[in-house]
Amino acid sequence: MNAWTDIMLVVLILTTFWLLGSSRLASCIRICAIQGVATGLLGVVGGGITIRVAAISLAVIVLKGLAFPWLLSRALRESNTSHEVQPFVGYVASLLVGVVILGLSFWADSCLPSLSHVASRLVVPVAFALLIAGLFLIVARKTAVNQVLGYLVMENGIYTFGFGVVREIPALVELGVLMDVFVAVFVMGIAIYRINRTFDHIDSDQLTLLKG
Amino acid sequence: MISAGWILPALVAAPAILAGLSLLARSPRAALRVGAAATAALALAAGCAVAQVFLHGPLQCAGGWFYLDALSAYHLAILMLVFVLCSCFAIVYFREEIAAGHFTRKLARRYQSLWFGSLAAMNLVLVSNNLGVMWVGVEATTLLSAFLICIHASPQALEAMWKYLLMCSVGVALAFAGILLLAATASTSLSGHDALLWTRLMNPAVTLNPMLVKVAFIFLVVGFGTKAGLAPMHSWLPDAHSQSPSPVSAMFSGILLTTAMYGILRYIPLVERATGNTGWGREVLVALGLLSVLVGAAFVIGQQDVKRLLAYSSVENMGIITLGIGLGGVGVYAALLHTLNNSLCKSVSFCCAGRIGQIYGSLDMRRIKGMLKVSPLWGGGLLAGLMALIGVAPFALFISEFLTVRAAWNQAAYWPMGLLLFGLGLVFIGVLRKAIPMAWEPPESAPKPLRTYRAEALLVWTPLALLLLLGLWIPRPLGAMIAQAAAVLGVTP
Repeated sequence: MNAWTDIMLVVLILTTFWLLGSSRLASCIRICAIQGVATGLLGVVGGGITIRVAAISLAVIVLKGLAFPWLLSRALRESNTSHEVQPFVGYVASLLVGVVILGLSFWADSCLPSLSHVASRLVVPVAFALLIAGLFLIVARKTAVNQVLGYLVMENGIYTFGFGVVREIPALVELGVLMDVFVAVFVMGIAIYRINRTFDHIDSDQLTLLKG
Repeated sequence: MISAGWILPALVAAPAILAGLSLLARSPRAALRVGAAATAALALAAGCAVAQVFLHGPLQCAGGWFYLDALSAYHLAILMLVFVLCSCFAIVYFREEIAAGHFTRKLARRYQSLWFGSLAAMNLVLVSNNLGVMWVGVEATTLLSAFLICIHASPQALEAMWKYLLMCSVGVALAFAGILLLAATASTSLSGHDALLWTRLMNPAVTLNPMLVKVAFIFLVVGFGTKAGLAPMHSWLPDAHSQSPSPVSAMFSGILLTTAMYGILRYIPLVERATGNTGWGREVLVALGLLSVLVGAAFVIGQQDVKRLLAYSSVENMGIITLGIGLGGVGVYAALLHTLNNSLCKSVSFCCAGRIGQIYGSLDMRRIKGMLKVSPLWGGGLLAGLMALIGVAPFALFISEFLTVRAAWNQAAYWPMGLLLFGLGLVFIGVLRKAIPMAWEPPESAPKPLRTYRAEALLVWTPLALLLLLGLWIPRPLGAMIAQAAAVLGVTP
């Protein structure tokens, strides 16, 4: 429908791959910020800007592009862990998994009946890919900060999907959802801070006291 | 009904305001006492709304954004019951901690504020007609209750909190993808503002694409199922339940899981209609319910920690409810009755278990011996609670479990029936093997019993007496309530 929409969607996919292959936590947070801004711009470049769309897009850009990265890098600075990602699954393998996820998303999209007013044919597969890649990042990385980043990638995927297929979600609902995501990241930030203070690390794979 | 409808937003706003006011509490004791009194007052207001619904039909307000019908009113009644019970118990539970200075004013303020916050969020889930707002409520309960788990920041509690926070946030985010899919298929026939209103979606004129609704339902069941503690997404549950302070575990097990379950229930009539009443959605629930019953039962066997045992019993009981809903017919009545029974029984059991844990200084069942002699009230309460949970005959849980089995028999679903009976049998043996030494074996060293006041007996025996009564005789108003709630789910009497 619109070339700019497609460009933003490609940016989303590229940043996801970049994230899958990055080794430093600080740069992961930065990549996630770029992805957040791209998600926010998606609403603006699609055309037909109303005050509602503009306000929500602005809120998304401020939250995902500025507030979350700031919160997370603060949590990272105050923790005395290594600033490497420490993956369970190596970088090259992660990238390969990313390719498989993307392929599967396109395949799943072709199976579903086409949705009536999709902004671009890429929207649904890209959204699915982000959703699954986010889940993958949560399980394949050790540090708590990275799990939050995975959650954010997932959330970006869901937002993209919502933007692409249902343009008319009531603003109140969308603001409620945004607020929940904001509080979620905020609460996770505090949790990371407290975990770090108690355990002296934020490696969630070492949280193994509770079993059975 | 327009005037009565205003009680619905008030049910969300009042606890939210109380959450703010709790931050000003003068002392820990005052925070808990005023909190319990305010919860009781809220329960009265909610009771009026519930009565209104059952006598005069659904309430709504604010252009249909708030809506309370028989199904949500029934859950609201259970919610307030559990909250009143747990708030009163909190006064007892924290008494020694306050005296010892472990439960400081700062902690009490935070605790009470988050407590009311969770109440507000759960009320929001129950009174909103907009499926999106309902989602916001479910996610908000996760976020607000996360720090209740680690009021006392031990490494274990923090680990449990992180697991709970991450698993439930991710799970519930998946549910939102499901809601968006549903909105996408509904927006062909509904305008943007109405696309997520449940009452509008229920309008038979709205066409929903069956394939998309199926995909949406899978997302929703996985998402809300994570929060409801259904296997295999349950792994956060035993940790969170065992590590949080007992009033919080009682609230989690009594109502937090049920509220998430309610989220799934709302979609069942929609899915049934979209798939042409083929029962596809119900089959999904039968499979998931059975898996939860079996997983819960298997893990009950090997537990040493009494709160973990109760937590796995929650997985099993949520499984029974899911199974009942999935079987349809009598099963839906059984599931709704089981929801009430399980909530009452779980909250009282967790309360007693917490107190017993304080008396013995441990929750390890190998160290808890002769609890009937050491503390007749809390020990007796825990024993009675455990007996009720495994479905010993005169208690109400026996009736609802029996009805679920009968529903399976009526449907000629012999495999599910056999597996359910197997699971129930496993739990029966597993719990009994632990409960008997806990109750009667002579203790190695007699622990010093804590001081018990007479009023505390009310807290333990009222819910248990109620369970006994419901097992023998279901009052006609309650029966009518359940029938009306089941009618919302498409079961005609």
